[in-house]
Amino acid sequence: MHKPTISRRIFLLCNTLILSAITVLGIIPFIHLLSISLSSNTAAMAGEVKLWPVGFNLDAYRYLGEKVEFFRSFGVSVQRVILGTAINMVLVFITAFPLSKSNDQFKFRTVYVWFFAITMFFGGGLIPTYIIVKDTGLIDSIWALILPGALNVWNMVLMLNFFRGIPRELDEAATIDGAGQWKVLWRIYLPVSLPSIATIGLFTIVGHWNAWFDGILYLNSPEKYPLQTYLSTLIMAINSQMTSISIEQIKAMENLSEKTLRTAQIFMGALPIMLVYPFLQKYFVKGITVGSVKE
Amino acid sequence: MKTLKKEYLLHFMLLPGVIITLIYAYGPMAGLVMAFQQFEPLSGFFKSEFVGWDNFKYVFELPDFMQVLWNTIFIAVFKMVLFLLVPLILALLLNEVTKSWFSRIIQSAIFLPFFLSWTVLGGVIIELFSLNGPVNGLLEAIGLEPIMFMLNNGWFRGIVIGSDVWKGMGYNMIVMLAAITGINATLYEAAEVDGAGRWKQMLNITLPGMAPILILLGVLSLGGILNAGFEQILIMYNPTVYEGGDIIDTFVYRLGMFSQQFGPAAAVGLFKSVVSLAMVSITYYAAYKYSDYRIF
Amino acid sequence: MKRFKPWEMLMLVMSMLLIFTACGNQASNDGAEPKPQNSGNEANASANSNTPPDPLGKYPETITVSEVLGYNPPEDPRSPKGITPEQNAYLKDLKDMLNIEIKYKWTVPSSQFEQKFSLAMASGDLPDIMELDQKNFEKLKKQDMLADLTDAYNNYASPTLKKYMESDGGFAMSTFTSDGKLMAIPAFEDPFLSTQLLWIRKDWLDNLNLQVPKTMEELDKVALAFVNEDPDQNGKNDTYGVAMQKNIFFWGFDLRGFFNGFNAYPSIGDNQTAWIKGDDGKLIPGLIQPEMKTALGKLQEWYNNGVLDKEFALKDENKAVEDITAGKVGISYGEWWYPNWPLNLNVDKDPKAEWIALQIPGLDGPGKSLVPKLRSNRMYVVNKKMKNPEAAIKMINYYIEMGNKKYMENNKAEQGYVYNWFDPRVYNPAQIETIYTEVNKALDANQEEITLDDENYKNVADVFKATKDYLAGDTMTASKGVNWGQYFSRAAKDGGWGMTRTIKENQAFVSNEFYTLPTSTQVEKGSQLDKLMQESFTKIIMGAPLDEFDKFVDSWKSLGGDQITQEVNDWYSKEAVK
Repeated sequence: MHKPTISRRIFLLCNTLILSAITVLGIIPFIHLLSISLSSNTAAMAGEVKLWPVGFNLDAYRYLGEKVEFFRSFGVSVQRVILGTAINMVLVFITAFPLSKSNDQFKFRTVYVWFFAITMFFGGGLIPTYIIVKDTGLIDSIWALILPGALNVWNMVLMLNFFRGIPRELDEAATIDGAGQWKVLWRIYLPVSLPSIATIGLFTIVGHWNAWFDGILYLNSPEKYPLQTYLSTLIMAINSQMTSISIEQIKAMENLSEKTLRTAQIFMGALPIMLVYPFLQKYFVKGITVGSVKE
Repeated sequence: MKTLKKEYLLHFMLLPGVIITLIYAYGPMAGLVMAFQQFEPLSGFFKSEFVGWDNFKYVFELPDFMQVLWNTIFIAVFKMVLFLLVPLILALLLNEVTKSWFSRIIQSAIFLPFFLSWTVLGGVIIELFSLNGPVNGLLEAIGLEPIMFMLNNGWFRGIVIGSDVWKGMGYNMIVMLAAITGINATLYEAAEVDGAGRWKQMLNITLPGMAPILILLGVLSLGGILNAGFEQILIMYNPTVYEGGDIIDTFVYRLGMFSQQFGPAAAVGLFKSVVSLAMVSITYYAAYKYSDYRIF
Repeated sequence: MKRFKPWEMLMLVMSMLLIFTACGNQASNDGAEPKPQNSGNEANASANSNTPPDPLGKYPETITVSEVLGYNPPEDPRSPKGITPEQNAYLKDLKDMLNIEIKYKWTVPSSQFEQKFSLAMASGDLPDIMELDQKNFEKLKKQDMLADLTDAYNNYASPTLKKYMESDGGFAMSTFTSDGKLMAIPAFEDPFLSTQLLWIRKDWLDNLNLQVPKTMEELDKVALAFVNEDPDQNGKNDTYGVAMQKNIFFWGFDLRGFFNGFNAYPSIGDNQTAWIKGDDGKLIPGLIQPEMKTALGKLQEWYNNGVLDKEFALKDENKAVEDITAGKVGISYGEWWYPNWPLNLNVDKDPKAEWIALQIPGLDGPGKSLVPKLRSNRMYVVNKKMKNPEAAIKMINYYIEMGNKKYMENNKAEQGYVYNWFDPRVYNPAQIETIYTEVNKALDANQEEITLDDENYKNVADVFKATKDYLAGDTMTASKGVNWGQYFSRAAKDGGWGMTRTIKENQAFVSNEFYTLPTSTQVEKGSQLDKLMQESFTKIIMGAPLDEFDKFVDSWKSLGGDQITQEVNDWYSKEAVK
C-alpha cells in the first residue's frame, strides 16, 4: 500500500463531511418521531416537540405494550414478509434466468420479455384487479397479498441485468461439462449473484412490509391486517367534501388526539425493517465477484 | 436435438411467471374498456354505456389541462434526472469510503426516509420550510428576508423535487452499489499495477462497469414521465401553488370529488400508459441500435 | 341455482303472512309498547290476525342478516383489548332478544369504507342491510336494488323510532320516498347543529380589558388586540387573531361564520355554493353575491395586519388544532361541539384558558348563520333480495331500546358493548337537546342521579356524570378538559348547544335551500369551479386586487355556474319539499 497523496486526503475529508451531513438529514425525521412518542400528549398536540421530547414520559410505549391489535398485525406482517419474499425471489430467479440468455441461445426471449414488460406500463386499475382476485378465490386470505404481485417485473428485469454481468464462459463451461440448465442456475448463478439477490431481496422485503393498501382492498376483517394496513387506520382522514361532521365523528376525533401513542406505533412499525438493511449488508461485500469464484 | 431440449427447459422455467402474469396482470386489463365507457360500478363492464372517445375529450378539453400536463412533465423530468445523478454520485462517493462500518451507517441512513410514508413526512417537510421553521431561521441568522417557500410556485416545485429525491435516493443508490460490487476485481488490480489513480479507475473501470445498470435505470425511469408523485403533492400542495404544482394525478383526483368519475380516470390512466410505453420502447431500441445492448 | 331450505321457505311464508295481516291492522298498532321480555311466542301470536306485529318480536327461527361495516376504533378506552366487530356484545344480545344473527361480509376502517363499498358494488356482492350516503343511495335506487320499506316501517317501527322520524314533520323521510315508497331510513340530526358560532378566549379578553364583541367592528378591534397586545401575557409576540386552515369552506376552522356576519352565504361547508332564496323566490348562489366582495376585502385587511396567519394557506385542520391547543390563537368560527374537540386540549394544556361561545358578530349587532335544511350523512336501506326487510326495522328498534336504563347494568364498554359498531343505528335527532334539558333539570333539582327512564338514559347519564365531575373538579374518570368539553358543548346554558338553541329560538338564521345530490353540471364542472374559487379567494386574501372577485364571478358563471343555477332552480320548482 502506498501512502495517500495530499489531494486524496482532502478528498477523503470532504467526502466524510458530505456523507455525514446526508446521514444526519436521513436520521432527523426518525428522531422527530421518537421525540414525539416520548413527550407528553398535550405538548405533542400543541406541536411543540421538535428534536427533543417535551415532558418526557414512557406512557405511549406502556400503552403500546397492551395494544393487541399492534402485535396481531405485526405477526401477520412477519408471516407475509417470509412467505411473500420466498415466493417472489424464487419466481424472479427462475424467470430472469432464461430471459438473460441472448437471442441466439433462446430465440423466444424477446417475445417473453415484452410479454412481461408491457405489464410495467399497463394496468387494469382497482376494480378489475379486485374482481380477478375475488374470482380466483383469494379474498380474505394472505395469498391475496402475495400471489397477484408474485412476479415483480421490475425486480426481474434488474435481476436479468445482473445475470448478464456473469461471463458467458462460465455457463458454457458448465454446459460442456454436461451440467443441465437447472444445475447452472442453482450451482453457478446462485452463489455468484449473492449481492444482487441481497439487493432485490431487500426491495422485496421492504415492499411487502410497507404495502398497506392491498390489505384494505382484499382483506375482510381487521384481525387479518398486516401492520402497515393497521397503522394506516390510525390516521383518519375525514372526507373534505363532507359538509358536517356527525356527533359520532366528533367523539372519534377526540379519541384521535392520542398523538403520542400513534407516533409510537408508527416508529415501532418502521423499526424492524430498518434493522433488516444492516443485516443484509454483509452480502454487499466486495470480493464475492465473478473473478474470485473462478478458481 | 440438444438445443431443443435445452429450450424446452427454459420455457418450463418461465411457466409459473407467465401464468401469474396472465391472470393477475393481463386479466384485469380487460378493465381498460372503462376508458371508453360511462362506467358505473353497479352495472359493471358489460352493461355500462360505451361513449367512444368522450372521456378523453372531456379531460383534454378541460381548461387547465395543458398547464397541468406541463407541470407534470416539468417535475417528473427533474426528478428523473436527479434520481439518476444523485444516487450515482452517492454510490461513487461511498465506494471511496474505506472504513466499512462508516459506509454501512451512511448507507442505512440514506435509505431510512424510504421507510416513511408521505403522510408522515409531508407534515415534517412543510414545517421545515414554514415561516417559523429552521430553514427560515437560518436565512434570518445570515441577515436575509424570510421566504414563504411553500406558497411560492417556483420554490414549491423545487421543494417537491428535492424532497422526493431525498426520500427515494437510497433505492437507486443500492442498485448502483450492487452493480459496483459486480465489477471484476481483477480489473482494479491491473489498473493499480499500471499506476492509475483512483479518479482514473473510476472513469475507466467503475463507470463503464455500471453502464448497463445506468442505462437500464435511465430507460425505465422514462416510463415515469407522467408520474410526478401523486401522494406527495396531494399532501404538500395548496391553492396558491396550483399554478405550478397541480399535476395530472391530483387533477384527476379532484375530478372525482363530487362524484367518482371512473371513465375519465381510466382514460387518463390509459393515456399515461401509452405515453410511457412509447417513451420506453423508443429509448429501448435507441439503446439497442447505438450500443447493441438490450436493457431487457 | 339456489335451493331453499325448508325453514327458509317457512320463514318466507310466515313473513308474507305477517305483512298481509299487518296491513289490515295498521290502526291498532300505534299504542304498541316494546315488550322484549315476553316475546318468546311472538311469531305464533302475531300469526293470529288479532295481534299487531311486535317491533321487538323474537323470530322463531334464526334469521341471518349480512352486513358490511365501516368502523372507528372503540371510543371508550375501557373496551376489551383487541375486540373485533364480530365480538361486539350488541350482536350477542340481538341474537338473544330477536333471534337475528349478523354476518359481516367485511369490516373496514371507516376512512376506507367508500373505496371498499364501490368494489363491492362493482363485484355485485352487496349485503342485506346497508348504510349508504346520498350518492350511493341514488345509484342503487336507480338500479332498482332497494327494497320498499313502507310496510315494514309502518308495521314494525317502534313508537320511539316513529317519534324520531316524525320529529321534523317527516321532512327527512319524505326526501327518501319516491312514488309513495319509502326507500331508506335516514339517520338525521337536528340541522341547527350546523349553526356557526364564534368561539373566543374569555381570559384573553379579560387580560386586555376588552368587551365581548357583538359587531364586526368590535370583533375587528379584538382580533387586532389579540395580534398586537400580547393577550396571553407571556411577553412574546406569538399570537394571532382568527384560526383558519387552507380550505376556505370546510367542516371546521374555516370562515363560513365570518362571511355570514357580512350577510354573505357562500357555502354550507363544502366547496360548492350554498343556495339561498332571492327576492323573486328563486334560488341564488350565495358564492357570487356582492356581499362576498366586502367580506373578502376585510379578510385581505386581516391577512395584511396579521389577524390571519401569514401561512394559513399551508395549514390543514390538524395544524389549526395545533395552534388552538398551543394557545397561539384565541378566536375561531365553528359549531357547537368545539369544546369536545379541540378546545378541551387547550384547556388541558393551559389551566387559565377559558373559552366562550358567541352568536356570530354581524354588521350591526349579532348576525345570522346559514343552516342547512337537512343534516344527514347516512341512511339505512335494505337489499331488494332480502327476505325479511322488517328485520332491519326491528334491529333499529332494538338499538334504540338498548339505550334504556334497565340495560345499563350490562351495557358497558368494558363488557364489550361498542355502540357505534352496531348497524343499523338511528339516534334521537334531538339527542343533544334532550341531553341539554335533562341534565339541566337534574342540576337544577340538585339530583345525584339521572331519574329519566327512557332510551336516552345512557347519553344523558354520560354527560351528567361528566358535568358533575367537572363542577366538582373530579378528574378520576377523565381529564378536566374532557369533562369540561362534555359539559360546555352539551349542557352549559351559555355553552355550545345552549347558545345554538337561543339562536334557534330567535330565528336568527338563513336556510340553505338546496339539499339534494349535485346536479349533472355540478358533477361535470364542479372540480373546475372549486379550483377557480379556491385559487381566486386565496389570492385575494393574500393581496391580489379586490376586483379579481368580479372576474371570478364572470368566470364562475360562464364555466358552468349559470347552467347549475338553472338546474338547481328546476329542481327547486319541481321536486323540493318546501
